[in-house]
Amino acid sequence: MSILSIENLSKQYGPVRALKSVSFTVPKGTVFGILGPNGSGKTTLLGIVTDILKASSGQYKWHGDLDMADQRKKIGTLLETPNFYHYLSAIDNLKIAAEIKQRGKDDIRKVLELVNLWQRKDSKFSTYSLGMKQRLAIASTLLGDPDILVFDEPTNGLDPAGIAEIRELMKKLHQQGKTIIMASHILDEVEKVCTHVAIIQKGDLKTVGTVKDIMSSPGGKTTTAVLIEIASDNNILLQQTVQQISGIVNIELSGDELHITCSESISAAQINRFCFDKEIVLTKLNVKRKSLETTFLEITGNQSDK
Amino acid sequence: MMHLLKIEWLKYKKYTAFKVLSLFFIIGIFATNYIVYSVKKNIINDIDTQGLISFSPYSFANTWQTTSYVSGFILLLPGLLLIMLFTNEYTFKTHRQNIIDGLSRHEFINVKIMLALIFALVSSVFVFFSASVFGFASGTDFSLNGIEYVGYFFLKALSYNMIAVLFSVLLKRTGFATGLFFIYLGAENLLSQYLVFLSMKLRVNYDMDAGNLGDYLPMNAADGLLTFPKNMVTSMAKSILPTDFTWVVIAFAVSYLILFYWWSKRKFVNSDL
Repeated sequence: MSILSIENLSKQYGPVRALKSVSFTVPKGTVFGILGPNGSGKTTLLGIVTDILKASSGQYKWHGDLDMADQRKKIGTLLETPNFYHYLSAIDNLKIAAEIKQRGKDDIRKVLELVNLWQRKDSKFSTYSLGMKQRLAIASTLLGDPDILVFDEPTNGLDPAGIAEIRELMKKLHQQGKTIIMASHILDEVEKVCTHVAIIQKGDLKTVGTVKDIMSSPGGKTTTAVLIEIASDNNILLQQTVQQISGIVNIELSGDELHITCSESISAAQINRFCFDKEIVLTKLNVKRKSLETTFLEITGNQSDK
Repeated sequence: MMHLLKIEWLKYKKYTAFKVLSLFFIIGIFATNYIVYSVKKNIINDIDTQGLISFSPYSFANTWQTTSYVSGFILLLPGLLLIMLFTNEYTFKTHRQNIIDGLSRHEFINVKIMLALIFALVSSVFVFFSASVFGFASGTDFSLNGIEYVGYFFLKALSYNMIAVLFSVLLKRTGFATGLFFIYLGAENLLSQYLVFLSMKLRVNYDMDAGNLGDYLPMNAADGLLTFPKNMVTSMAKSILPTDFTWVVIAFAVSYLILFYWWSKRKFVNSDL
């Protein structure tokens, strides 16, 4: 069953076409990433499905129904920036959100503890740091234990520990069977957290599918390459040695390490043994699967939109 | 609607500017009327020992008209307060968050218009009370004669509040909306002064009496209904002043209110937030 279906959604800001007839569906229980560079239309898309922006054409349905405010009460949404009353405390702000949603009034303590803000519950929102504001916004989305969560750049402004916590939280929510829709320009984030991904660029939907499918077949091509990073005390010698291994597609000297692209049949252990037999000791050996980043750049072209 | 009003209450009950401006306004109604009352009582009566000016503005039934007229001057305060409360939502982007969290766009704008109505009602209640207090203080017996002036006050208060809502929706920024509110009121006032003279000219020179044309402007419509009680000076000038077509002016005031209502709603419901 689909949670959200989007049909031919377009948005025009004067002469600028921010979204160009985008269609896709978000299946239940997935972590659905919307990936794109800055200004690609991610927030516009999420703005439309939360009724903040009016679509120029096309429609969207939550649970197969056209938009209704009551549906939004059961969706936890963080869009773009944390929006709260600056002169009110965290707890008073969450009371308002719970009153609007008509649910989750008893969850306030729980969600504030979850994002480590309970100690600061009575401080005014205006005194919060950027990361704290972001965590409060995430807390607010969890009020009433919604089955659907929409996050727009959820780790924005968080420190590394905060980012890790939020990612863990999203994984946990996913395990509980919740559907998460997440917009991000951080590839690593999408790769680590999402099951599905839609890539948009300049308002165009470039591709959509499971993260696994997209990584293995960018734009229809099937290349299952593995990237291995190695280094030794003598990289020139190492390069000459490694070239002798069959199945190596490409070797590139990058800084003080070698980046080897090879077929999946070659394992790190093989390379390590081969080099060791030639009396070279590796100081670094790091296996990277072909990342979403390479796929992303292949699909969108190696440029930023601006 | 109670649910929506409860949300608004949660937003404002700890907002200092809300408390301060409300208090200023309530005290202001009593204070301005008290000043006029005591000037008449202590100063004019001292000079006028023979009782030439027998006119007593705060006796029943004059008190309804006088209090409504005098209180009308501080109606800027609830208008400003509404602009602040509404444009704050734009500043904090909470208008977006409220919709995201599950209010419909209609609910959001309806409750703001409801606030405009409630502020006007509450102001009218305070005017009613202070009119009664000064009426009794003048040593006269209670009478509801002339109570329609409190109704006109309500119309004027609602007009101020609704244009405040409209300017907030159209301009979104506190500074811009407040600025336009003052500039507009000032400009309309100047225009209405000109129109008063034009109306008098028309009557005297061409024998055309279409009422006071200035009273047909948006903010002056309700304002024109509220005048200081008739005294000797205005009676003498009656032959050159245009006639007060009270019902026409009320019709204009109500039409403008409907326009403000429709325009604010349309703008908020249909635009990108």
